[in-house]
Amino acid sequence: MALDMLVVDDSPVTRKMVRRAIGLCGLEIGQVFEAGDGAEALSRLAEHRVDLVLADINMPVMNGMELVERMSADPDLSKVPVIIVATPISEQRIERLLDIGARAYLAKPFRPEALKDLVLEILGKGENHG
Amino acid sequence: MVEATPELLTDILGSVLQDSAFMFVEPSEEPAEWGEKVFAATLAFESVKGGTLRLTMALPVGVELAANMLGTEIDDPEAEENGRAAVSEILNVIGGAFVTRYFGTKVPSQLGLPQALMSSQPASGPRTTCSALVRSETGDPVLLELDMD
Repeated sequence: MALDMLVVDDSPVTRKMVRRAIGLCGLEIGQVFEAGDGAEALSRLAEHRVDLVLADINMPVMNGMELVERMSADPDLSKVPVIIVATPISEQRIERLLDIGARAYLAKPFRPEALKDLVLEILGKGENHG
Repeated sequence: MVEATPELLTDILGSVLQDSAFMFVEPSEEPAEWGEKVFAATLAFESVKGGTLRLTMALPVGVELAANMLGTEIDDPEAEENGRAAVSEILNVIGGAFVTRYFGTKVPSQLGLPQALMSSQPASGPRTTCSALVRSETGDPVLLELDMD
């Protein structure tokens, strides 16, 4: 089954880069939606069901940390896995993100294969997916 | 905490450009010629100490950076249109690499949002703690500057 994803980042260049990595990583991808901050992401999620959210941390309006907290507190969204795709951060910040509900952290820059491995691990898919 | 040196900045700049955009740069001691327009951005950070990083790229390097990040050709109009955003984003990645290498991963650190600058020349000031000047494979300059508070 094709995976629908939401890419959340305030940089349009990064959103395109992540979309490109998604396209190259060899997974069967359905629709890829975009949002420029956490608040816009919540609006997209109210309109579209997705299998996975890839979100940056540092964003204006609503950052990735608050997005994860809001999703975790929402019964409709708490099951949607969030992978934080961000610049290198402290161990303490990674632990905090995982504590509040993010499923994984992927440091930029990343290889498409690393994204694929993480997605398969989180969604519990076998090697034969995609 | 390691020492903030031009070598540290050169190493971070080179590895981030290589890993993020398949661009290879070499350290340079020659005075830079910037041309009529540059792409530039600043990024504030806070940790044990605060400061600012500033990245300046000659126009052709910024366009090549955007093209490589987006997977387009250098002569694609999208590459030049996204040059400023690409420089801001690469500075964001450089900032993350800098704070985790300089302060370590055990202490909390926080990056601000990159601010694109409208500039025709790099604006090195008296507060500049250290800087790294490199050149792309086409010989165009890239300057990374660090101001510690």
